[in-house]
Amino acid sequence: MIQFTHVFKRYPGNFDALRNINLQIQPGEMVFITGHSGAGKSTLLKLITAIERPTRGEALVNGSNLLRLPRRRIPYFRREIGVVFQDHKLLLDRTVYDNVALPLIVTGTDEREVPRRVRAALEMVGLLSKERMYPITLSGGEQQRVGIARAVVNKPPLLLADEPTGNLDSALSDEILDLFLDFHHHGVTVLVATHDWHLINRARKRVMELNHGELVRDTGAAA
Amino acid sequence: MIKNYFMRHAQVFFFSLGQLSRTPIATFLTVAVIGITLALPACLYVAIENLQRLSGSWDSNGQISLFLKRDVNDAAAEKLAAKIRALPAVSRVNYISRDAALAEFKQLSGFGEALEALERNPLPAVLVVLPADTDSHPDKLQALVKQLRRYNEVDIAQIDLEWVRRLHAILELARHGVLILAGGLGVAVLLIIGNTIRLAVLNRRDEIVITKLIGGTNAFIRRPFLYAGTLQGLLGAMLAWLLVALALLLLSSPIDNLAGLYGSRFEAKNLGLPASLALLAAGGLLGWLGSRLAVGRHLRTLEPT
Repeated sequence: MIQFTHVFKRYPGNFDALRNINLQIQPGEMVFITGHSGAGKSTLLKLITAIERPTRGEALVNGSNLLRLPRRRIPYFRREIGVVFQDHKLLLDRTVYDNVALPLIVTGTDEREVPRRVRAALEMVGLLSKERMYPITLSGGEQQRVGIARAVVNKPPLLLADEPTGNLDSALSDEILDLFLDFHHHGVTVLVATHDWHLINRARKRVMELNHGELVRDTGAAA
Repeated sequence: MIKNYFMRHAQVFFFSLGQLSRTPIATFLTVAVIGITLALPACLYVAIENLQRLSGSWDSNGQISLFLKRDVNDAAAEKLAAKIRALPAVSRVNYISRDAALAEFKQLSGFGEALEALERNPLPAVLVVLPADTDSHPDKLQALVKQLRRYNEVDIAQIDLEWVRRLHAILELARHGVLILAGGLGVAVLLIIGNTIRLAVLNRRDEIVITKLIGGTNAFIRRPFLYAGTLQGLLGAMLAWLLVALALLLLSSPIDNLAGLYGSRFEAKNLGLPASLALLAAGGLLGWLGSRLAVGRHLRTLEPT
């Protein structure tokens, strides 16, 4: 699903955010990426979502070569990836339903199909009763779950999460983790960037640790 | 599939309409500025059209009037007319005797009673000469006038209605001027809409970035802005049409008055159907183009980071 070979990312000013990254993630795997702040977790996710381009090396994600992916193909590439953001990036002037429906509207999903799939996604995160509400009226944990519903409503084969529990207490974090484990069990490749060791220890999945832009530990696919 | 496509466009159309109606004052101001900007060339166009219609009813042929000397009697005048008629450069000659001229003048001028008071007929007899080649070159016409002027019986020879030709030329010039003005103001409308859409894009930058992150194409993101720009352009054009109609309504009674004084039934006409449609099309097109340019430029700078 993801294959990086000698990948470098250098920002202007000769700052190396990622150095010589080699990694391979199979379809259906669940992987945690950890490391201190500024270790390169976010940069790695930005490469995978084609927000940034690698400076050097070969990076394959879901069959696309990120170095050569044409600009106009990027939207179609991103439709295959569900992303959960730390600040959830919801549209505050739209209802929960409309927020979750957005990826379906963007891809031009059949009119009659949309309500069914939005409600299925909301049901999965336990927010079906709040579809008419605006995100601002929800709690932090609920907002994050709306973000997750939006990320999976298109049934993407790859799900990325950037510090998904960053602002949540441990009980809420556990709920979110259970959701990710659930998607993992349904065959989705899940990649979670976090420095929350409580989460990592509870999940008992593969862990990759970044340190100053280098991959210093990989527990391997069989962990 | 195609039905789905139209459904989506219809949805975006109503979404854009909703967005515009949610900020009624800003929308009204933009539409008003566009309307006034478009009304200016439209008004001038209507004025020129009407003047052309008015002057078009006047015969602009290079007709020559020969005013005969007082002492030339009817018989001599008829003889002269026959002589001129025989010239190759002349197609027709009409003789208007002094009595006939007075009768015609009485009828047309409305000075009937005042003329009764005159003891003698003050008007000369006239030979109206129509050149064979009516649209001939002014130089040829001048040569003919010179030739006619040489007859002893002729007092004054003058080309009639030359000023009508000049007026036509001036109107033609003004028409081109309106086109240039319309071009300039069209650019102004483009800039107005471009700026409005630019602000709308910046207001919704978060939404645009999020849409890009979840795989929205540029075309998808552009669509509501293009609809908003086109709608505002169309509404502006409608307003311009109303402003022109209002101006004509306000002017209609003074125009009637003036026309009445000249004994004319002239009535100012509004923009015809083709011109009205052209106005609407121009508004919509300028709106679309303005928003297309603004969105295209800003969409590239709004990337997720």
